[in-house]
Amino acid sequence: MTGVWALLGALAVAGAIGVLLKVREGRISRAKDSIDLPAPVRDLLAPGVTLVQLSTTFCAPCRHAKVVLRDLADHTDGLTHAELDVTNLPDVTTRLGVMRTPTTLALTSDGTEVLRVGGVPKRDSLLAALRPHLP
Amino acid sequence: MPKDSPVDPRGPRFSAWMTTVILAIVLLTGWWRLLAAQTVLFAMCAFISLKLNPWGHVYRYAIQPRLTPTTEREEAAPLRFAQGVGFVFALIGTLGYATGLTTLGMVATGLALVAALLNAALGLCLGCEMYLVLRRYVPALARPQ
Repeated sequence: MTGVWALLGALAVAGAIGVLLKVREGRISRAKDSIDLPAPVRDLLAPGVTLVQLSTTFCAPCRHAKVVLRDLADHTDGLTHAELDVTNLPDVTTRLGVMRTPTTLALTSDGTEVLRVGGVPKRDSLLAALRPHLP
Repeated sequence: MPKDSPVDPRGPRFSAWMTTVILAIVLLTGWWRLLAAQTVLFAMCAFISLKLNPWGHVYRYAIQPRLTPTTEREEAAPLRFAQGVGFVFALIGTLGYATGLTTLGMVATGLALVAALLNAALGLCLGCEMYLVLRRYVPALARPQ
């Protein structure tokens, strides 16, 4: 009988996590307070706004995020997309306070963080949020 | 470790459903030998090759021919990593049931079932997204490329 309850519990937990992640997926959050950018990230900055996408080898949705962001950057003036594989750069993610991949940081050319997105970004809402910072 | 080629993403989803069913049977019956078999299967896929997964063969011969072909491919590395995470939980679960620590067995099996179900239903790989966190606490995951 306990097994039945364990199974129901597991199903409930899976449902809760699924709903939570669906709601949070692609959500745009405010930038963290100014942090000293790690060198591998700073090296990627371009004029205008750079979308720095943090990925790992083990991350399947990172590929989808790449498709969305690359397309957005190709069609938007002053927006660049760069991907950084952080599989072997734990110090970078710790310093940036990033827990999951893909996470995308929008950074200006002087390294100021404008916003960040967890999960696969939603193209339209991301563009709307970036508008005030684009030339 | 040999490298697997990218796969049709619907194959792993089918495997995840089968894994979910097996883990549900284990929870309902407490049949730890079945969980032990699942543990071995996880280990073979994670540490040797995804080609050893029997559900992959079932998918290829019985299901794939009935579906519209897709050019979409998924990299093998995240899939194998997920199998490794499954292996750890299934191993703890097996040890728990086999040594009489039934609660431990149930909790570990339940967590493995949560991960398998999320993978099957939503295509979501919890272990892969949380790799950064896992790595922070399990330094052995870090390996040179």
